[in-house]
Amino acid sequence: MREFQGCPGSRTVDFREKEAQTEAPAAKVQSQLRQWPIQLHLVSPAASYYQGADVLLTADCVAYALGNYHNDYLKGKSLAIACPKLDEGQNLYIEKIKSWFEDAKINTLTVLIMQVPCCMGLVQLAKQALESSNRKVPLKAVVVGLQGQILSEDWI
Amino acid sequence: MEIYLNTPIKEVISKFPKIGEILEEYEIGCVPCSVGSCLLKDIIEIHNLSEEEEREVMARISKVIYPDRVIPIPKVERKTKTRTGEIKYSPPMKKLVDEHVLIKRWITLIPQVLELLNVESPEDLRIISEGADFIRSYADKFHHAKEEDILFKYFDENLDVLRTMLKDHTKARSHVKALIEAVEKKDKKGIVEHLNAYRELLTEHIKKEDEILYPWMDRNLSVKEVGELFSKFNEVDEISGNGVTERCKAFVVKVEEKIQTPKKEVRP
Repeated sequence: MREFQGCPGSRTVDFREKEAQTEAPAAKVQSQLRQWPIQLHLVSPAASYYQGADVLLTADCVAYALGNYHNDYLKGKSLAIACPKLDEGQNLYIEKIKSWFEDAKINTLTVLIMQVPCCMGLVQLAKQALESSNRKVPLKAVVVGLQGQILSEDWI
Repeated sequence: MEIYLNTPIKEVISKFPKIGEILEEYEIGCVPCSVGSCLLKDIIEIHNLSEEEEREVMARISKVIYPDRVIPIPKVERKTKTRTGEIKYSPPMKKLVDEHVLIKRWITLIPQVLELLNVESPEDLRIISEGADFIRSYADKFHHAKEEDILFKYFDENLDVLRTMLKDHTKARSHVKALIEAVEKKDKKGIVEHLNAYRELLTEHIKKEDEILYPWMDRNLSVKEVGELFSKFNEVDEISGNGVTERCKAFVVKVEEKIQTPKKEVRP
């Protein structure tokens, strides 16, 4: 089987050439994570760190692709991670996101996804939750390319 | 060239009128601006020209200033990304842009209202008075107050671009005050003069906000600030918005029906 075939979410792509061309930052990057747990099934919208917060809902793969994820996106925000392709029980996800809007009264929700088509499902979950919520909150979608470039960043 | 980048645009244009024409080609309307205190370098950033357009416009400007010399063209430093297509507003900015739509519906009607105006008709004078009430209640107290009391506080109010907008608001208020006095005196000339002046001012003002100011603000606001603005605007809407909006919408619909204007969709 040739490379670059099949589902864009699981096809094989090799970036090793890029590794030789780019250098990692000299200093250690400080973690900006300020909570635990982080998986969307495990977190509670009632947790103190979500109340009135700017929340980041990140697709599982994003933090591996986006080199400066901690400083550029996670800093100052509360987090949950999920995979719209593999996770089960996604109706519960909609309820939890809705609860962020209505009960935790979050300030904003930013959804970070990969460019692969299946990842758009996470934005759809957030949109569904927002549509069914009585309280409206600014929702932003950030799409990350396979090599960590920001492809788009838009308020929805 | 650096010296001109740091010069107010009005001075630059008065010394080199051709530069005003060049800027207009790039939809940068500094020539009719009543203030003109923005610096040339800020204009390039605020209007968010693409890098290619920036190189082009800077080359043309430098040729006007130094026709006989080839000089290195400085790149304008930017804090934010260059534009990538259609304008997409954040939710709080979208609210303000949407409010402009109703204001534009009223100012579009003004020429016809003035054409049909008979100052001896109580009904005609009532329309002008209600139009002034629309401007004071909706465009000013409701909409401009959101800008002045909330949005502009997130920026340095000494910035030229904000001072220009605030001056427009002040000018608009003085036209409305003069309009109301003219209505009381049944002074047709005064009514026509001030309502037309308001229409011209607000048409330009809204265009500047929709196309330049709000996109520039969006590029400079943090995610947290966007959320805060959205909540604060919602509070204003809940406290004072609904009654005012409904009353002012009803006024516009009434005038549209009266002068039988086809209800064209006004795009934000």
